[in-house]
Amino acid sequence: MKEIILMTHVAFGVGCVLAAVWVFVDTLNASAANLKRIQWVSRAAAVFMWLSFLVGGYWYVVFYPADKTIILKGPWPFAHEYFMETKEHLVIMLLLLATYLPVAAANPLAANRDARRLVLWVAALIPLLGLMIEGHGAVIAMGVKVALLAKQI
Amino acid sequence: MENRTVSKYTTSFGLALALSSLLNAVLVVVKEKSPAVQAAMKSLTGHHWITHAAIVLALFAGFGFLLAGGRGGRGWTLPVNRLIPTLLAGVVVSGAIIVGFYLLAD
Repeated sequence: MKEIILMTHVAFGVGCVLAAVWVFVDTLNASAANLKRIQWVSRAAAVFMWLSFLVGGYWYVVFYPADKTIILKGPWPFAHEYFMETKEHLVIMLLLLATYLPVAAANPLAANRDARRLVLWVAALIPLLGLMIEGHGAVIAMGVKVALLAKQI
Repeated sequence: MENRTVSKYTTSFGLALALSSLLNAVLVVVKEKSPAVQAAMKSLTGHHWITHAAIVLALFAGFGFLLAGGRGGRGWTLPVNRLIPTLLAGVVVSGAIIVGFYLLAD
């Protein structure tokens, strides 16, 4: 169950990144025809991010303390000391960006170049920050793995 | 002529995003440097990170609606070509503070 919760957190995060990339590409070609789609996909990015945040937050508070103990006793303590500490605070900024995306995308993008530029910047920041955070998650998982492997040897 | 204005909520929540991101980074440094602050944050919700996230999200919503309601309900105005660098600066500087703090200072 613990692993399913963790993978659900990651999957929702990937969903947010993919939705933001979709919004970015669609906004490059914004017209009256795809305006509604941009708005719906930007809302999906926000919903995915909130789900990822809530599921990940639950996992972090309830299950992570055990992993933290394992990591800190293993050969990669930086997986917690730097990567988890950074991730748990950067993710709040990612949540703000994903929440803001549908607000920015609600403007008439087809007729407003400045609004399009704003949406492009916000939609670009989400995958950049999101992929960085996904990478941090991978290092944290590896921190647990190398600690358990070191214990077995 | 092309429309170049954005909604008052776009401006207010864009500024709120930059501001609350910066306060997120400041709160990281303050709680990590002050065990008393971290203990107080923990006592509020049971975990310092839950309190941290709740504070930043409340600031985002609070600043957003406050700025949107300013100037007699017309909201604060800022040209988009200034809103974008403000938002970017808020996110990049906050990210750099958080990364730099855990990399070097903590």
